[in-house]
Amino acid sequence: MASRNSSSDAQLEFVLEVPFPSQREASIALQALSPDQEPRRRGITKTLGASACTLSAKWTADEARILRVSVGSFLDHLALVIETMDVFGQPVLQ
Amino acid sequence: MTVVIGFEGSANKIGIGIVRDGEVLSNPRRTYITPPGQGFLPSETAKHHRSVILTVLQEALDEAGLKPADVDCVAYTKGPGMGAPLVIVALVARTVAQLWEKPLVGVNHCIGHIEMGRLVTGARNPTVLYVSGGNTQVIAYSERRYRIFGETIDIAVGNCLDRFARVIKISNDPSPGYNIEQMAKKGKQYVELPYTVKGMDVSFSGILSYIEETVFSMLVEITERAMAHCGSQEVLIVGGVGCNLRLQEMMGVMCEERGAQLFATDERFCIDNGAMIAQAGWEMFRVGQTTELADSWITQRYRTDEVDVAWRD
Repeated sequence: MASRNSSSDAQLEFVLEVPFPSQREASIALQALSPDQEPRRRGITKTLGASACTLSAKWTADEARILRVSVGSFLDHLALVIETMDVFGQPVLQ
Repeated sequence: MTVVIGFEGSANKIGIGIVRDGEVLSNPRRTYITPPGQGFLPSETAKHHRSVILTVLQEALDEAGLKPADVDCVAYTKGPGMGAPLVIVALVARTVAQLWEKPLVGVNHCIGHIEMGRLVTGARNPTVLYVSGGNTQVIAYSERRYRIFGETIDIAVGNCLDRFARVIKISNDPSPGYNIEQMAKKGKQYVELPYTVKGMDVSFSGILSYIEETVFSMLVEITERAMAHCGSQEVLIVGGVGCNLRLQEMMGVMCEERGAQLFATDERFCIDNGAMIAQAGWEMFRVGQTTELADSWITQRYRTDEVDVAWRD
């Protein structure tokens, strides 16, 4: 859910938690998705982490439009990583 | 035996190739072709690559007759190029490197072209003319760097050709440059246009309406100047524009006059492809230059001379 925190700069926040079948898969996704910098550096921050079988992503942004673009892009990339694991992960991920 | 898979997608071509000790086992590729009059934009190009990349990956393995376990190393294009497509390709490379538990090697796209050119032609230490839609450089190897002797001061020669094709609405299938070349063969009238060479460098933005003769002459001149500077007797042309037979012909005339040898590859390897990334990755892997996942970010700018060419002496 996106929400505004009460600080004076009125930033938006968005948190996403993605469950994976195993810790290994959550870790693979994290290491694939974290190296690249956001294309737009100002007005947005994104922090990724993994804990047990869950990948977490947290954003702060100045404007809804910027947040939407970043979250949308992240979801497309996440979907590609998951599909790659589905297609090429056997038998490694059994 | 060392088997390396290479992933390339920095512009509108997505290619995945497998190389084993100097042998190209597979090199499938797809091109994102836009309608006449339109260039390719980063987000659409990224969408195209995303839609075919896993299919091309499977093709690469199938054509090579290999399983993931047979691969020793995963190479991918770290840069330079367009950001959005670079990310798509890097994501898949990082994912399979982890799934298959193989080391990752981030390759400079220009060096991919150079190493594939050297492999395919056998040229030992050539002066390199690297000409494509995104890059125009004259390069010579010296003391563990591919030194940039000269380059475009504004746009790449292929970009100039592509923009010209767009203005007069030439088809982009199979590529705008190829169609310009076919039409130019039938040309009878030479039109004199601005010829812009500044020492080792060239400029193309001022001559967007042009004929190949002028642009290619400029490239031959700067290549010759670099050869004279380095005392080199070999020229290697790499990059998509290197497919152009007229450019090869003009370069050949200059080489013959100097008693030098000209090397060029065909469209399989001139044009961006995965095997060239695999080949450069093979060189890097064998001298221990792998890339940690945290350092595997892609970058739109990546100069050819930033890389420590540890595999050559």
